[in-house]
Amino acid sequence: MNPQEMKIVFTGPMGAGKTTAIRSISDIPPVSTEVGNNDKQSHGKDSTTVALDFGQLLLDDGTPVKLYGTPGQQRFSFMWEILCQGALGVVLLIDGNSPNALEEFGHYVDVFNKIAPEQPLIIGIGRRPPSVSDEFAQVLAQRGIVAPIYDVDVRRREDVLLLVETLLCILESQVEETA
Amino acid sequence: MSAATPLFDAQVRSTAQAQLDAFVSANPGIKMAVLTSSDGFEIAAHPMQPVTQRIAAMSSSLQALSEAIAREAGLSESRNLVVESPNGTIVVLGLANTTPRMSLAVVGAGDEILGRLLWLARNCGQSLEAALKA
Repeated sequence: MNPQEMKIVFTGPMGAGKTTAIRSISDIPPVSTEVGNNDKQSHGKDSTTVALDFGQLLLDDGTPVKLYGTPGQQRFSFMWEILCQGALGVVLLIDGNSPNALEEFGHYVDVFNKIAPEQPLIIGIGRRPPSVSDEFAQVLAQRGIVAPIYDVDVRRREDVLLLVETLLCILESQVEETA
Repeated sequence: MSAATPLFDAQVRSTAQAQLDAFVSANPGIKMAVLTSSDGFEIAAHPMQPVTQRIAAMSSSLQALSEAIAREAGLSESRNLVVESPNGTIVVLGLANTTPRMSLAVVGAGDEILGRLLWLARNCGQSLEAALKA
């Protein structure tokens, strides 16, 4: 792992909290490409990211981790591939309270398993109701994918840091295994 | 997402479509023009093709990125973005006086002069702003 090229991608459906997550942990003023949302049928939020979010987290040893957020909508999927180039791992955020949360989760897992098959995947579920506590893990199990799932509030810095730190731990263990 | 997305008023779409039809037809050096909402929906395009929906999404991303880089560089705003290739040029310009905010992507043929393409695209943008405001 080259410390000069530490790059993590935050992805997930529209309204999952990608922009907020990056804002929560970035040590620099984040770059945002939010515009007005005209598609209120898909999501009621006022604004939406159309290109990327960018932030940077400084680790305790001073190593910068570049944080990229994707747009959530399928029509911007070309950005998913562009942003995943050179990424060390992917953080997938899901709004657990969305009526289509499990479908969206399965879709994003499938898509990003193709776009970034070698990179570790970490999952953060926001607002997860207790009634679907195991179903996200079942979606992964059906696909033979092993990935940590956390309940998160992306407005809380420590919750988002937990996702990043888990990802870095997995990357570190992979480096040790190959050494 | 359908080509004729119902998210926008039918009158807006038909007015914009007529403007783009006339613009491209009158200028042989223009291969394509796509009017896009700031969040990536195609509002009108000439010629209408499946690829114009992707160009609409991409041009909204590029427009947002050009505005972001202008901000980061301490510039006031992005007037337009130019993508040059050996066999053509793409101009993306934001239409500030539209509600909702829109951008216009114009694809010029390889022999179209950049200055003329910019001039044509800006004129088309101003005509669109005026027509959609009326």
